[in-house]
Amino acid sequence: MKLFKTMALTLVCLLLGIAVAWQYNSVNENLVLAQYEKKNLSQLVEELLLERENNERLRARIEELQQEVAALKDDENMDMKYVEDLKQSILMARVMAGLETVKGTGLVITVESGGQIRVRASHIQELLNELKASDVQAISVNDERIVATSEVREAGDYIMINGRQLVPPYTIKAIGDPDRMERSLNLMGGVLSKYQVYDFNVSLEKNDNVVIPGVRDDGTVIRTDRLTPVVP
Amino acid sequence: MVKTRRALMFIVFLLLGMLISLQFRGIINNQENNISVREMALRLEAEEAEGRKLLEELNSLETEWSQLLNNIGSRQQDPEIMELIRQRDYEYFRAGLTNVKGDGIVITMQDAQTAGDMNIEDYIIHDADITGILNELRSNGAEAISINGERILGTSKLVCAGPTIFLNKSRYPPPYVIKAIGDPDTLYDAIDQLPNVAVMRLYGIRIDIRKEYDMIIEKYRLYESVSEWLSNLEVATE
Repeated sequence: MKLFKTMALTLVCLLLGIAVAWQYNSVNENLVLAQYEKKNLSQLVEELLLERENNERLRARIEELQQEVAALKDDENMDMKYVEDLKQSILMARVMAGLETVKGTGLVITVESGGQIRVRASHIQELLNELKASDVQAISVNDERIVATSEVREAGDYIMINGRQLVPPYTIKAIGDPDRMERSLNLMGGVLSKYQVYDFNVSLEKNDNVVIPGVRDDGTVIRTDRLTPVVP
Repeated sequence: MVKTRRALMFIVFLLLGMLISLQFRGIINNQENNISVREMALRLEAEEAEGRKLLEELNSLETEWSQLLNNIGSRQQDPEIMELIRQRDYEYFRAGLTNVKGDGIVITMQDAQTAGDMNIEDYIIHDADITGILNELRSNGAEAISINGERILGTSKLVCAGPTIFLNKSRYPPPYVIKAIGDPDTLYDAIDQLPNVAVMRLYGIRIDIRKEYDMIIEKYRLYESVSEWLSNLEVATE
């Protein structure tokens, strides 16, 4: 009887020890996982898909460049194509910098005060951010092209972009997917619902032929005097 | 004696029972969530590593490509071609397609360590906080800006995505490191005196600003050729 009791107690203590160790182990494991816990599964899947898509694009671009490099190595006698390629890459870089006038499908939005509240720089800034979030390819406000160095600030009663004073109504043009842009502007609690609260007069029009002018090229908007190119 | 022993046994069994049920509950929960979460996290990590490798490969290919072009150009000894090459380098530089060097400031932003009793949202950094800083940098003459190594252009996407931000085509967790080339003193004062920076600091968001000389800002990462990327744009300049 005594033996049985001792054995039972030993067994229980053993089990308890194992259970404690097991529990401790899984708590530790959970700590490792905790850093991912902030992200739920759907967020992770979303990130994974995004990363995959980026990598897919990278692979395609690498393949394309490999072919171009091979062609360059092959082709000893240069012909017109080389000059054409150079001209094309100059043009595309200028399009990217916002120096060329471009056209395409997009949205034209006008915003004007309804009398109560003035349209401020921050209101326009918020709209621009929303458009940029929907993968826009070119934007302008009252024909001032938004480039990498473009600021949006208050200037007295009006707003200033690219060092120029703009007067209302503000016309924002954006080239990109018009449905996608419209959806994100119309989100609940989004930019347009805020504009409604401010009583702004807003019009929004999809257009197949939005023309956005290039930024002026006099060194005052796209500035490079403090930059030195680092060539590998 | 018997009583204490009984009581002891009771406690031991009680603990054992609690532990076992705790363990099983934990296992059941984990099996559903964590195993797939961990699996996804591992896959994501692998994919990100792959992405870094691909970017490196692309970078060295781009270098090779532009060197080949330059070699061919100089072999030609054709002044027209030399001029075109010079122009291409210049426009790439202006478009943000070249790494650049200069003086400026570095801003490091980190969410508050502990949230106080106000709304939790106030203790983390939002896209509007960052775009506000970008706008201030631009207003004060910044010529090149990057966030966590992503060059910021006129159309760059910057949105909050949970505790992270989505920049251009990738997602970044804090800290956010904003680099801007311009006049270091002007930029420093502008950001240091920004009302929203004071408000964020009040909430415990850590914002460190320092002047930096001869720093490099990386070029915009292209995942496709410029013409593919800007395929919606048709050049309308006459």
